[in-house]
Amino acid sequence: MILFPATLAEPQHFSLWERLLFAGLVLLSITLFWRRFATVLRKILQSKRDADFRLFPLGRRMWDFFWEVLCQAKVIRQRPLPGIAHAFVFWTFCAFALVTLNHCAVGFGLGFLSSTSLAGRAYSYFAAAFAVACAGGILGLFVRRFLVRPRWLGQELSWESGFIALLIFVLMATYLAAFFVADVSPAARALWWLHSVALLTFLPVVPHTKHLHLLLSPATVFLSRGGFSHIPPLAGDEDFGLVAGTDLTRLVSLQAYSCVECGRCTEHCPAANTGKLLNPKEIVLGIRGYLNEYGPSSAEPLIGKYNPQEAPFQCTTCGACEFQCPVGIEHLPILVGLRRGAVNTGAWESDHGSRLFLALERGSNALGLPAGDRDKFIQKQQLPIFDGSQEYCLWLGCMGGYDPKGREIVADFARVMNYLGTSYGVLRKEKCTGDPVRRLGNDLLFQQLAESNLEMLSQSKVKKIVTICPHCVRTIQEDWKEFGTPPPVEHHSEFLARFVSQLPQVQGQEKIVYHDPCYLGRYRNVYQEPRTVVAHAGELLEAPRSHERSFCCGAGGGLAFLGEETGERVSHVRAAELAATGASTVGTACPFCNSMFRDAFAARGEDVPQLLDIAQLTARGLPNDAG
Amino acid sequence: MKIIVAIKQVPEREAPVRIDAGGKWIEEANIQWAMNESDAYALEEALQLKEKHSGEVVVLSAGPERAGTTIREALAKGADRAIHIACDDLGDRDALGVARLLAAAIKPENPDLLLTGLQSDDLGYGQTGVILAELLGLPHASLILHVEKTDAGLTVKRELEEGWFQNIELPIPAVLSMQSGGSKLRYATLMGIKRARTKEVRTLSAAELAAPVASSVRLERIALPQKQKSTQILSGTAKETAAALVEKLKFEARIL
Repeated sequence: MILFPATLAEPQHFSLWERLLFAGLVLLSITLFWRRFATVLRKILQSKRDADFRLFPLGRRMWDFFWEVLCQAKVIRQRPLPGIAHAFVFWTFCAFALVTLNHCAVGFGLGFLSSTSLAGRAYSYFAAAFAVACAGGILGLFVRRFLVRPRWLGQELSWESGFIALLIFVLMATYLAAFFVADVSPAARALWWLHSVALLTFLPVVPHTKHLHLLLSPATVFLSRGGFSHIPPLAGDEDFGLVAGTDLTRLVSLQAYSCVECGRCTEHCPAANTGKLLNPKEIVLGIRGYLNEYGPSSAEPLIGKYNPQEAPFQCTTCGACEFQCPVGIEHLPILVGLRRGAVNTGAWESDHGSRLFLALERGSNALGLPAGDRDKFIQKQQLPIFDGSQEYCLWLGCMGGYDPKGREIVADFARVMNYLGTSYGVLRKEKCTGDPVRRLGNDLLFQQLAESNLEMLSQSKVKKIVTICPHCVRTIQEDWKEFGTPPPVEHHSEFLARFVSQLPQVQGQEKIVYHDPCYLGRYRNVYQEPRTVVAHAGELLEAPRSHERSFCCGAGGGLAFLGEETGERVSHVRAAELAATGASTVGTACPFCNSMFRDAFAARGEDVPQLLDIAQLTARGLPNDAG
Repeated sequence: MKIIVAIKQVPEREAPVRIDAGGKWIEEANIQWAMNESDAYALEEALQLKEKHSGEVVVLSAGPERAGTTIREALAKGADRAIHIACDDLGDRDALGVARLLAAAIKPENPDLLLTGLQSDDLGYGQTGVILAELLGLPHASLILHVEKTDAGLTVKRELEEGWFQNIELPIPAVLSMQSGGSKLRYATLMGIKRARTKEVRTLSAAELAAPVASSVRLERIALPQKQKSTQILSGTAKETAAALVEKLKFEARIL
């Protein structure tokens, strides 16, 4: 029983001339397509091998492919309306694979999806449903791009996108119109030819434009390094990071050609949003431009015509770009790679940067203070020294050991641990984990700091670390792996969330807005634990940008040490956003965020919310004699 | 221009200082070592001169085996080669004794310029550069912040008291004792460290330099400085305290 009487018209009896013309057009289309696509493939395959690439285990890759490519999960979740529209276009393309094959076969009298067969007819309706959704979707996307014009799609209108949208619309319209004409009518023939011309124009346009992502991004998602901000180890004595074309690896080149220029990275980038030169999309397109002009065997520096040196050094490594990217581009290894290239060869000159490096070459902490200051703090707070018998090693970090506000956080966290009866101790000596130099691309210093700390931890027989700093957590847990086996480490929010039920509740319903630190959220996937802790101390408010979309405080990537910013300050923008929630308190979980907001609120002057770490929020509920 | 930079390895600034049983030196166990600060500035000046005028930078250091790490650091930052005078009894030699060792190694090199730090962070005699100039029969200037090469020789900027400077001209060859802070130090790079592996380090023994050991100065005893606290808490509004702080930094601490 068929409810809809119309069937898909299939023009018959093509003349020899028509067949020859069609065959010629197909050949021309494929040739034009292949000439460009082969060039791109060659540039990718001629790039350096990724020394640390492992195809296995496949489970993660297959899941990413299923979820992000086939289900379009990230595309939809992060931009629901355009995401759904895009997903319909994508799914329609999948459904149309068979339709397109049949369409071409019809031209040679070899059609296999005849509307006389039940299966053929059913499939034509199935595809028609998608065609309707796709036509609607592409119209919506057209309106968005050319009439709504979101800022992050760029200043200039992309006529190329408009042309592609037109082709897709014509493909769908000609397919649907064929349901309303008779097989032998001239209209059916005209529709068939129009569909063919659109199709054969579309094919060569793909590799010449950003629509190359149709072909590359499934591979990019499947082959991505995985993890978050995974910085590959340097391979061999001549690898100093991304210096020239010869340093571009296959993954970097593949990712550069996969960019679809959607601008999600730019939309969420704290640098791009505060008037800096850095625009993560332009970094990726810069690599693509370099590959197009110089290729992967060139010794021409990567920093230059296509990527100015200033840009990568404005990155806070917050990772919003990498998190958002729907085509699997890993921006952080590229941004940090460019920094590595400049720093490891000494090409980067920055007064503040050199001061940080020299402080860590000679001293123990990123703040450049004498190590004795940390000893004095430990004595004053009477923090127990770790002797191997305690359960936890309380890692102070540079902020916890030297920064006045960081010390208050440590002191309050120690009070909580004392109250709970947790056994812990602090190390007599500690060096910076190397987080700021890791992100700034100083591999020499990072290796020295990681090795020296790993040695110290193993001598002290540390089995578990807890710390108030998400940067320390990430660097110890992930980045140190390159040089040894770090003990398990957790952030104090995870510790506090576990014991929160044993702690006295803070009286009153103070409104507390929680700020997600990048290195706890996107880097470690810890979102709920600090919220549990905050909810125990008052009423939890959410900032407009929170969880995975949290907006950086401006400190990461070593930028806390690089001095004046150009444009607006990232910390001021975020502090204003937090204050606007009407909360009386801002709850933080990272001493760097805390110090950035402390300065930002001081600059705002009167009438600002108070600023407390989750450890301080918790400690307020303790009886006065505790700890 | 061939420049020799004399560098010394000293205890790191943050090293815990404890006086050893003999009372004449500090306990060396558990101490980390670094390049003497003003020597690092001397090296930086030499490297900048080489970058501008080409030539060669040779680092020279007397000290035990551990001084090798500081020599490697200097090579990593850009020095071309090094001479290490292996000598375990540096502590027994006074400034004259050390200068004699260094002079013996420098003579066959015939440098155009010899740079030393102003003084060492550990003993702080401030003598080595001056005596070296005397032993080598070369003109000398101290407290130098900046060196400019001219057709006739050198123009150097000296630091005087109270924020005054003096520019003087010297012929080459010459010896200069460099003050800290004249230029910005460069950081060590991975590329520098890797390239330094293949650079030449010539080791000379103190014995083959045949410099007399006998000291004319004898170190009697060392002592830790007396601790004194002079913290002042400024009160008032942020504006008032900031103004008071600037006042004190300018006229009491004299660092602004």
